[in-house]
Amino acid sequence: MNSIQSFDPAATTRPDDSLLSYYILVAAMTLIGFPFVVLPLYFKFRTLSFRFDDKGVSMSWGILFKREIYLTYRRIQDIHVTRNLFHRWFGLASVSIQTASGSAGAEMTIEGIRNPEALRDYLYAQMRGAQDDALEAIAESSPNEAQTAGDIATQLLRDVLDEVKRLRVMLEQRS
Amino acid sequence: MTALQDQTVYRGLWAVLVQYFRVPQDPPEIPGGGRDNTSPFKPAQAFLGYLKFWFWMLMAIIDIGVLVGWIAIMIADWRIGLAVLPIVVIVLIAPTIVAYIALQLRFDTTWYIMTDRALRIRRGVWIIDERTITYENIQNVKVTQGPVQRHFKIATVVVETAGAGSAGGKQRAAAANQGALEGVTNASEIRDRILLKMRESGSTGLGDELSLQQQRGRAASWSPAQFDLLREIHKELAAIA
Repeated sequence: MNSIQSFDPAATTRPDDSLLSYYILVAAMTLIGFPFVVLPLYFKFRTLSFRFDDKGVSMSWGILFKREIYLTYRRIQDIHVTRNLFHRWFGLASVSIQTASGSAGAEMTIEGIRNPEALRDYLYAQMRGAQDDALEAIAESSPNEAQTAGDIATQLLRDVLDEVKRLRVMLEQRS
Repeated sequence: MTALQDQTVYRGLWAVLVQYFRVPQDPPEIPGGGRDNTSPFKPAQAFLGYLKFWFWMLMAIIDIGVLVGWIAIMIADWRIGLAVLPIVVIVLIAPTIVAYIALQLRFDTTWYIMTDRALRIRRGVWIIDERTITYENIQNVKVTQGPVQRHFKIATVVVETAGAGSAGGKQRAAAANQGALEGVTNASEIRDRILLKMRESGSTGLGDELSLQQQRGRAASWSPAQFDLLREIHKELAAIA
C-alpha cells in the first residue's frame, strides 16, 4: 500500500475502470433506485475525461448537459482527499480541489484516479506556497536580469557623476 | 487511558480495520517537507478524556431517561417490566461499549502534520478525510477553548482559507475551507508559528501572482522610465559642459 508511484499528468485522461464498479456499487446501495442512479453515473463515467497541463487541470463530462471545469494550480486553496469504505476497497479516492470562487462546494472533484496520493502530491507541489516559486521563476526566466539592471543604473550614475565633476572643474576655472 | 489500546480485542479490531477496511496505519506525510518539525503528531491524550467526558454526559442523560421509563413500566405492570428488562439492559450497555471504542478509534485515526510550508489533517474511520493547506493560503487563524477544554488544558486551532465554505460553517471542522487541529495542548505555539508564516509571505493568499512582481521589485528597483530620466540628465549635463 505504501508503494506510491509518481503521478503522470500527461497520461491521465480517463478515469480508472474501477470507477465504474464503484459507481455500480454506489447505485446498488440505493436498492430500488438502482436504475435511476446508475444511468447518470454510467454516462458520467463514459464521458469523464481529464486534462492535466503544466498550468492547470480541466475535467469534462456529460452527454445531454455537458460540463467542463478548468482551474489553474496556482489558485488552489486547499485539497481534500476523501476516501470512504468503497473507495478504499477499489483503491480510489475523491480528490476535491477548492479555489476562492465562493461557491458552496468544492470547485472540482476528481474521482477515479488510481493512486490518489500521487495525484494529491502532484497538485500540492504545483500549489502556491508549496515551493519558493517566485524566486525560482525569476531565476528561470531571466537569470541575470536583476544584475544587469543594477549594473546599467550604476554605470549611468557614474557617467552623471563624471559630467558633474567636469562641469564643476570648468566653472571653477572660469571664475 | 491507554489501557484500551493495549487490549487484545481492540488490537484485533484495529487489525480488521487495517486489513479489510483499508484504514491507513501509517501517519500522513507531506513530500518535500522541509527542515523543521515534519514529524506528524496527534491530539493530546487529554483530548480523549475530553471526548469521553461529553460521551459520559450524554450517556448519563440517555440512561436516566431509559431508567425512568422502565420504572414507570414496572409500576404500571411488573410483568411487562420484567419482560422488557433484557432489552433495557442492552439499550443501556451496548451503545456504551460501541461509543467507547468509537471514541478511541477516532482518537487513533486523527493525525496532524505541519511542515514549514503546509499542514495536513487526517481524520475519520469510515470516511477518511485528508485536507492539505499551505500557509500561503491561510486567511485567518482561530483558537477556541471552552470551559471543559480549559479544564483538560487543550484547545482547538482552526485555520481558514478563502476556499468554498459551505452553509455548515458553524460546525467545527466541517466547513470545507477550514482545517481544525482539535485537542492540542500547545495551541498558542501552533498559532504563532502559522501567523509567522503568514506574515512572511505577505500575499493575500488568493492565488495572485503578486509575489513574483514583489520579488522582481526587490531585485531591481530601477524602472525603464528612470533609466530614460538618467540618460536625459546625462545628455543635459554633457551639453552644458
